[in-house]
Amino acid sequence: MTDPLTSILSGGVELAVPILFSALGEIYDQRAGVINLGLEGIMSLAAFVALLVGFSTGSYLMGTLAAISVGGLMALIHSFACVKIGINQIISGLLLVTLADGIANFSYVTIIRLSGVPRASVLKPINIPGLSQIPVLGPVLFQQNIFVYLAFLFAIVFGFVLYKTTWGLKIRGVGENPEACDAAGINVNRIRYLCVILSGVMAGFGGAFLSLGYLGLYGSGMAEGRGWIAIIVVILSGWSPYRAILGSLIFGLGYSTAANLIGIGIGVSSYVLQMVPYTMALIVIVFMFKRTKGPSALTVPYRRK
Amino acid sequence: MEARFEKYISYPIGLIIALSIFSAILLAMGFNPILSLEALIKGSFGTVFRASETFVRVTPLLLCALAFLIAFKARFLNFGAEGQLYIGALCAYLAASQMGGLPSILSVPLVVLVSFVSGVAWLAIPLVLKVKLEINEVFPTIVLNFIAILVINGLVTGPIKDPMAQNPQTRTIPPATWLPIMIPGTRLHVGLIFAFFLAFLIYLILQKTVLGYDIRAVGLGPRAAKHGGIDFSRNIIIVGILSGGLAGLAGMVEVLGANHLLISGFSPGFGYQGIAIAALGRFDPIGVLLASIFFSILLIGGESMQRATPPVPIQLIYILQAVLVLSVLIVQEFLTVRRQK
Repeated sequence: MTDPLTSILSGGVELAVPILFSALGEIYDQRAGVINLGLEGIMSLAAFVALLVGFSTGSYLMGTLAAISVGGLMALIHSFACVKIGINQIISGLLLVTLADGIANFSYVTIIRLSGVPRASVLKPINIPGLSQIPVLGPVLFQQNIFVYLAFLFAIVFGFVLYKTTWGLKIRGVGENPEACDAAGINVNRIRYLCVILSGVMAGFGGAFLSLGYLGLYGSGMAEGRGWIAIIVVILSGWSPYRAILGSLIFGLGYSTAANLIGIGIGVSSYVLQMVPYTMALIVIVFMFKRTKGPSALTVPYRRK
Repeated sequence: MEARFEKYISYPIGLIIALSIFSAILLAMGFNPILSLEALIKGSFGTVFRASETFVRVTPLLLCALAFLIAFKARFLNFGAEGQLYIGALCAYLAASQMGGLPSILSVPLVVLVSFVSGVAWLAIPLVLKVKLEINEVFPTIVLNFIAILVINGLVTGPIKDPMAQNPQTRTIPPATWLPIMIPGTRLHVGLIFAFFLAFLIYLILQKTVLGYDIRAVGLGPRAAKHGGIDFSRNIIIVGILSGGLAGLAGMVEVLGANHLLISGFSPGFGYQGIAIAALGRFDPIGVLLASIFFSILLIGGESMQRATPPVPIQLIYILQAVLVLSVLIVQEFLTVRRQK
């Protein structure tokens, strides 16, 4: 049995993962000029799909692939509505949350009736030889499951691509000055389409982690605000994939502190403890959002004049 | 003439798309869509009681939709109606439970006032952030929804729980604070008339007053408002107060009118549905009134479908609603853009 501090820290790294996955996709999406507020719903739906497919095929890989496909598909609806047609992105995102949650809960209720509650045993941690033996740091950083390593690896790759490659330049360009990009022969809306779909795929990873890598179950509304918090992390990190690592860790620690203190039972109502991450989010908004400035063309649909 | 055609044609098209998906899902699950639709319509209008239930549900939906609408006109996106509704309901319960000795004529208006103010109070932080620091209101309002729901659940499972009840719910409030029933034998209370009146009032404010003009001008952005000599902050505060207050009232009608107590999770997302309704009703008070009746028919009919044999889960209705509103918005935008070309 590990001591409480180690388990809070280790849980913090773990619970940063769904937020980080989703925030990374959302950074690309917003950098390209589209906001996707649907993450909260997509994450829950992906968690359900990952569990269902993982449960029936016995393969974590298949479960994850199914989850990210469904995530991408949901985001495709958003990109059709907002990029192709150009409806209000905020409203569309909110409807996407309702739609995705609706599909997840409807399917869950139906599946239970047909074949009982789907469950999966949580993915086992991979101990990095040597490093995992370091006290405190070992269990916190090097005794995690594959999703955790993958999330942090993605953050570095996403940062590299965004800042050091032509693709990244194009993505940033269509979010800052779509007219100029169009004039330079870049297909603005195609890049936006791809980035929106990517945001759904990444929220799909986040959802797959929640069910296959963390809980082994599905519950209605199991994203528990993580989709919204991922978007707050995007703004907090100034749309940088590298800084999103730090932002996700902060909130991961918030969720982990709450979960661990509820588990230990410190005589404070669990409802109060569950408020920890949300209260942190509020504090972050109050103190950190003043100076942030997003991509210039964020939420503005692009149409050729 | 053409514009008007576009305005209305999107509704039948959206409905056809939504109903097709609805039927396809039902067929895939082995249900008969015709029977399900029949259950839905009978469930929402089959008897006087079912129809009255539909209109009981219209009240909080309409109030939440108006809450979103009035703020949206000034481009203040109050996503926090769900939280403001819960806090409004909590404060309405707390106030009403202390007022058993007062006559209705005093206690009801007092509780109405309390719920309005408490709804505004729950929006105070996002409102101040918006006006003082220009911080976008979307995220603080949403985060506060999660906190509000935890506050309510924490209280109704512990400190204010009725010790005799199985469910996480409070005691019943004193009958003197109940909203009068309009049709005996039903739960249809005067809150509905109150909500219709408020819809009309907001229509008047927006269309016929200087304030309404200012609000719409602010909706064009701070710079445009400044050019027109209109105080941006002042108008944002006004719509914020109206919006938070209306959402607080939506919580009040559920406590004083529909349930007479506070119960955990009494709102199946009224606050979020209000946003979809406002969009479906084109952010027009009359359109929103019709849209909230339609949403209510789906919800109450859906509850009947859920009780039918074989039961169809109510979540299918949420899917139907989201698909409907998305389709309508897409068709509307598509037609508008095509005309402008």
